[in-house]
Amino acid sequence: MSSKNHRSHNAQEVLSRLGKKLSRQIAGSMVACVHCGMCTNSCHYVLANPGDPTYAPAYKADRIRKLFKRHYDWTGRVFPWWVKAGSVFSDEDLEELKDTVFGKCTNCRRCSVNCPMGVDLATFNRMARGLLVSVGIMPEGVAVVSKDQWEIGNQMGVLKEDYLDTLDWMSEELQAELDDPAVAIPVDKPDCEIVYSINPREVKYDPRTISDAAKIFYFAGENWTMPSEGWDMTNFGLFSGDDDLGGAVARRLFEKVSELRGKKLVISECGHGYRSTRCEGPNWAKFDVPFEMESSIITMLRYLKEGRIHVDKTRNSEPVTFHDSCNNARSCGMFEEPRELLRLVTTDFREMYPNRAENFCCTGGGGAMSMSEYTPRRLKSAVVKANQLKATGAKVVVTSCHNCVDGLNDLIRHYKLDMRVTQLVNLVANALVVPARVAVPAGGPPEIPGEAVEAFAAERPVLADRTIVVADDEPDQVTLLATIFEDHGATVYRAYSGDEALEAARSRKPDLLTLDLAMPGRPAAEVFEMLRKDAGLVDLKICVRSERPELRQTIYEQAVRPPEGYLDKPVDEQSLLRSVRKILELAH
Amino acid sequence: MSELLHFCEHRLQEVSLVFMGLVYVTRILWFLHFKAGKERQGQTGAPSTTPAKGILYSWAIIAMPWAMESTRTKPLLYAQFVVFHLGVAAAITLSFIIPYAPGLLENRLLVWAIQGITAAACAVGLIRMARRAGSRYMRAISSPDDYFSLALLIVWLFFAVLAAPNQTSPEWRLLAFFILTAFFLVYVPFSKISHYLYYPFTRYYFGKSMGYRGVYPLQRSVKSH
Ligand code: SF4
Ligand code: SF4
Repeated sequence: MSSKNHRSHNAQEVLSRLGKKLSRQIAGSMVACVHCGMCTNSCHYVLANPGDPTYAPAYKADRIRKLFKRHYDWTGRVFPWWVKAGSVFSDEDLEELKDTVFGKCTNCRRCSVNCPMGVDLATFNRMARGLLVSVGIMPEGVAVVSKDQWEIGNQMGVLKEDYLDTLDWMSEELQAELDDPAVAIPVDKPDCEIVYSINPREVKYDPRTISDAAKIFYFAGENWTMPSEGWDMTNFGLFSGDDDLGGAVARRLFEKVSELRGKKLVISECGHGYRSTRCEGPNWAKFDVPFEMESSIITMLRYLKEGRIHVDKTRNSEPVTFHDSCNNARSCGMFEEPRELLRLVTTDFREMYPNRAENFCCTGGGGAMSMSEYTPRRLKSAVVKANQLKATGAKVVVTSCHNCVDGLNDLIRHYKLDMRVTQLVNLVANALVVPARVAVPAGGPPEIPGEAVEAFAAERPVLADRTIVVADDEPDQVTLLATIFEDHGATVYRAYSGDEALEAARSRKPDLLTLDLAMPGRPAAEVFEMLRKDAGLVDLKICVRSERPELRQTIYEQAVRPPEGYLDKPVDEQSLLRSVRKILELAH
Repeated sequence: MSELLHFCEHRLQEVSLVFMGLVYVTRILWFLHFKAGKERQGQTGAPSTTPAKGILYSWAIIAMPWAMESTRTKPLLYAQFVVFHLGVAAAITLSFIIPYAPGLLENRLLVWAIQGITAAACAVGLIRMARRAGSRYMRAISSPDDYFSLALLIVWLFFAVLAAPNQTSPEWRLLAFFILTAFFLVYVPFSKISHYLYYPFTRYYFGKSMGYRGVYPLQRSVKSH
């Protein structure tokens, strides 16, 4: 235990690095707070935890500010107790600080825009995160994701071959859907108008957003490409406060676009990706970007305004509401464009209240989705957002941020709201009016009637000759999946616990096992490891499923081959089949 | 007027003011030695938003209670803020009028106006103290300096009410007011009361950044139905 005379190495490091991090903006925020309390009710954590002052923005800010006062400010140096100045001495002190800066604030900046003095807590909270990260004190999830982004180049550890494979797969899907072999996702094409960068979540869990974007580019007649490397526009440096990581990631992307001589970098719908690439990346990387950068929201809106694509908004007739991502809105000033686009592609748009610069955080911001230790706290604070959503009466919440998609999905499940989350790209693609094809000239190939195609497809079920074990303790889920698989020709075995899953896998030798991660009894991570280590099951493909994203980590942490796929719960038939076909590497 | 009162009204105030001025200059130089961040990226947000507009908006935001949710939804607190700061401004003005332009105080209306606003500010100070001590949230964020500064202001405003007519018999009202004023001048740069010194800087940098990013002027909530 450290005494006041003995400061731990980490505590010493944090203090000496603090001095180097202090900019005029941050020093201003440190000295200007008058403890007026006007910001208190701006924070969703406060509203969800009435009576607990430790969530008040000024209180949280003072956990950091006390260090500044003690070590850099006059009064605090001489009379620390008078102004509540203080220091850190031990690693336990740093752990306590970690709990505040990572676990009690999503850096949403809502308090900052409500402070009469212009104190920007979100910015210096990020700085404090960076100080802790620099000495290795951070939530486990932050360490894992940062490591993936440093080492593999993207924050979800997607391998290059998997990424390219997914692009191929999406190209094939599009070719099949549009019956046009010319549709493809171009990779590393030089001198394009647009280089399109995405969030690795799209590759891993939501490839439909990639194919939807590709479809839009195709119909807009865009000259575009995706980079084979440096394609991740997200940047965990924004959340971890690590400017070095932030700079390295941004530079990777900027250099790739420069190498391809792209004229414009389009950033897919992601609040943190947009902010870190468009608004912070050039500063972290100290890189003067020689090309334009734009959010795909603006790109889609432009296509519509220029008449390059046409939509039928009646195809999106469910009541929709819009959630402003904190990063897009309060840090990059994007308010009206997504709304304009929404009004063009939907028929029943309702604002949630409050909105725009006053919207509440989805509660998944600031990297909160990767910090599973704070999940109960996060979900509790999400009641504010849940009430906001419920009040709209909408069935669909649209957001232009992948983090928000995860955060909102999680709270919708937790608070049992009758809603789903989607993005603008999905709505635009759904409303796209596909231009009529030129009639096949006489003598050309005869047109095959739709019924005949269906009959042909029915003769060759996509999962024919496949054996699948569905493991889930919820009978409804087992029935749902089993029915879909059986309808498409698979032989299905049902398991309701981890032990039953092991037994079924060993006796039936299936091609695929879908494994729910929250079954009672033997932990799913153990079942997964046993399946992977079983010499008789080397060809077994495993798809894990959970409604709690934080459980994924327990699987990916195992020192064995990772699962071939991951599915959210609930899942619709189309996505389920698409993922399963991909996992089983079916050709069509 | 006794020699003591004359000293307190003049020499003591002047020395204290010079001291405060020197400390403030040092303070500003200290603040400016921190490096200002640089924005390399292009501007974002609506084309009508600019760093210059952001700075002006940021400075003016305190006078626009409708702009921020925090002030819009707490009109009583905002009114208290206005009264309190007007009272402080009146008391500061009084501390210059008495020694340098006492003739002005022959105007009864002016005296009443100063007394009215400083008394109101003093009452607001008491309400603020009750809020600071009574609310769990306020207690958690308050330091001894916060309580002391507020208490001192309440007492000072009280004596400003008594000193406004500039009556030398009895003298203790003026003496107390000027001794407290001098103490303030020396104490303020080291306390949270110096926030007004930082306000232009903090709001300048925040406004510049928010204007550059298209966040200022703030886009308030809109109700669709
Ligand atoms: S509103 Fe600003 S000055 Fe007031 S307590 Fe909050 S951070 Fe401090
Ligand atoms: S930045 Fe957001 S989460 Fe953090 S204290 Fe402020 S309002 Fe709360």
